[in-house]
Amino acid sequence: MRSLFRLSGEGEGFVPPSSNDFELPPVFGDNAFTTKPIFLVFLSVILVSVFFLLSSRKAAVVPSKLQFAGESIYSFVRNDLGRDIIGHEFMRFVPYLFTLFTFVLTNNIFGIVPFLQFPTMSRVSFPYVLAVFTFVVFHYVGIRKQGIVKYLKDIMFMPGVPKPVYVLLTPIELATFFLVRPLTLSLRLFANMFAGHLLLLVFILGGEHLFQGVLGLKLISPFAFAFGIGLTFFEFMVQCLQAYIFTLLTALYIAGALADEH
Amino acid sequence: MEGTLNLVGYGLSAIGPAIATGMIFAAYISGVARQPEARSVLQPIAFLGFALAEALALFGLVLAFVL
Amino acid sequence: MAMKDEGNALWSIFGYLLSGMLFWGGVGYGLDKWLNQGYFLLIGLLLGIGAAIYLVWLRFGRD
Repeated sequence: MRSLFRLSGEGEGFVPPSSNDFELPPVFGDNAFTTKPIFLVFLSVILVSVFFLLSSRKAAVVPSKLQFAGESIYSFVRNDLGRDIIGHEFMRFVPYLFTLFTFVLTNNIFGIVPFLQFPTMSRVSFPYVLAVFTFVVFHYVGIRKQGIVKYLKDIMFMPGVPKPVYVLLTPIELATFFLVRPLTLSLRLFANMFAGHLLLLVFILGGEHLFQGVLGLKLISPFAFAFGIGLTFFEFMVQCLQAYIFTLLTALYIAGALADEH
Repeated sequence: MEGTLNLVGYGLSAIGPAIATGMIFAAYISGVARQPEARSVLQPIAFLGFALAEALALFGLVLAFVL
Repeated sequence: MAMKDEGNALWSIFGYLLSGMLFWGGVGYGLDKWLNQGYFLLIGLLLGIGAAIYLVWLRFGRD
């Protein structure tokens, strides 16, 4: 791989993008709490709040364009994610699902907005915190609904199994509910955003490097840029899909905790 | 370039389960589309087939990191 | 309604397989480190896969 990039005229080789590209320096001085992702989170909160305040302020029977946009997002979350999955008690959870969906979606889309161009969720701490919220919510709901003893018993003991087999199965059930569920929830979001951003970096930076090379390489570089642009649209799709899946799984977990038998 | 060949091997070995999962659900979907009432019969078979194919993929993933 | 069942089942199957493998594979890995052996990890992984597939069959396979 190295030798391929050495072809490009000057002595300095191509430095492939790596996970170091995600560790941005602090904006103000040495304060580690002022990095770009943190500002992006605050920006997303402001953007989401302002958008939905504006779109719902002058609610009319004949909606304006803004109101229509806001309401279609809301009704998507309420009907497709809340009502169809959680069932008759869904109204209690719509605020949480709606906040989660819009927050994750906005932060993901920052990955392809010009000048911002950093998906916040590619720093793994943010998905962890969101997964902890979901974890607390669905266990709390289950315990409130069924009582702690019955809830844990339902998780641990699958009916219709000879007793000695529980030694084998109960650890798996516990690990699924208390470890693997929040972990996969956050890692799925993180990995998709991380890989997507890295992919875009490879094509754009690689195209730029090819452009600085000899003539033959200059001719190849437009293809790299074209691929980069195509992948940007692909990334947009992935970003929307991941926000949807995160919310969908949260709703599924809540529905599972509310159901009497799993 | 640095890294381990284990991950290349895992990438190659993941092709098999990927194709298998695709074929299982292609067959499941076309079966349900032809005969919607056969769904309750087909569903457990499709899920078990998915579980077996997915188990191989996860086995490869774990071994790629452990070996 | 249809989407709900299948989507739920697929993610649960994935979770069961992963946690079965992680838990019993982890136990085997620990035994390997403790007793300086080399085969407990493989036994643990196979046991985990077997138990997880059994669990999947219990939840989704039987009528």
